[in-house]
Amino acid sequence: MDIDILELSDRSARFILSDVDAAFANGLRRTMLADVPTLAIDEVNIYNNTSVLYDEQVALRLALVPLLTSFDEFTPHEECSCEEGCPACTISLTLSVEAPMGEEKTVYSGDLVSADPKVKAADSNIPVVKLKGGQQLVLEAIAKMGYGHDHAKWQAGVACGYKNVPVINIEGCDLCEKCVEACPRDILALGEESAEVVDDRLLNCSLCKQCVEACGIDAISVSENDTSFIFTLESDGSYSAEELIINAVNTIRTKASTLDNILGEL
Amino acid sequence: MDYKCTRCKRAVEIDYQYTGIRCPYCGNRILVKGRPTTIKTLKAE
Repeated sequence: MDIDILELSDRSARFILSDVDAAFANGLRRTMLADVPTLAIDEVNIYNNTSVLYDEQVALRLALVPLLTSFDEFTPHEECSCEEGCPACTISLTLSVEAPMGEEKTVYSGDLVSADPKVKAADSNIPVVKLKGGQQLVLEAIAKMGYGHDHAKWQAGVACGYKNVPVINIEGCDLCEKCVEACPRDILALGEESAEVVDDRLLNCSLCKQCVEACGIDAISVSENDTSFIFTLESDGSYSAEELIINAVNTIRTKASTLDNILGEL
Repeated sequence: MDYKCTRCKRAVEIDYQYTGIRCPYCGNRILVKGRPTTIKTLKAE
């Protein structure tokens, strides 16, 4: 297995995963979506809510706020030895906002105050509810660590996908330029002896094969590399993109090890 | 259960023997139920 990083930022990454089959690439994608545990608000104790939103609606909106998560410090609630929640699997956040009389005030995710300074809203500017003058929202939110396969609020990877690396072969080109004109992504250009793939644009190919259809002499062929994949992922902010990849791989490793132990006992 | 009149903002006790709902102070017929003082626990999902 080989990984070439194409782009890496705090929230997103793009890399080429090679020398693996589609099953492994899909396993990695699914793990990022559903099996990397994150913190999310699971219970809300409402002390006062005079806003226009129902308590249930406020609770749901809070649940969908991504929280910065430390992978090693918390245990997923379903794997914790406690039943009702303990400091190892839960954390408390409080929110207390009142709009001054005659003024409107928007409650943002950044108004949540955590018992642990490391745990806070990944984005502090997510609106929760707009309060009119004198309205009040006071609550305590209990965040638990959970898995994306139980609820989307625990999904750390939000846009994970992959496509095969394209393979374009050009032989016997007559320089008619039809393929260059047909390509919607400007991947092909006319060279001195034949049409050529423009440097660094091969990965932009969407495998639409319009160039193949445009070529009158079948000089161009477009296929997929079955063992190389262009992987794109985006994190919701609970982990950085790099942490998400590492945590996903660690999760796969742990699961494989567990399966190995089970099979060994048979 | 405490209700509040939306016009005069006074607390109103509803007399269920009476056939209609009306504020005894101002006669307004729109009353809102007050929020209980207990803590409400919800599952956030």
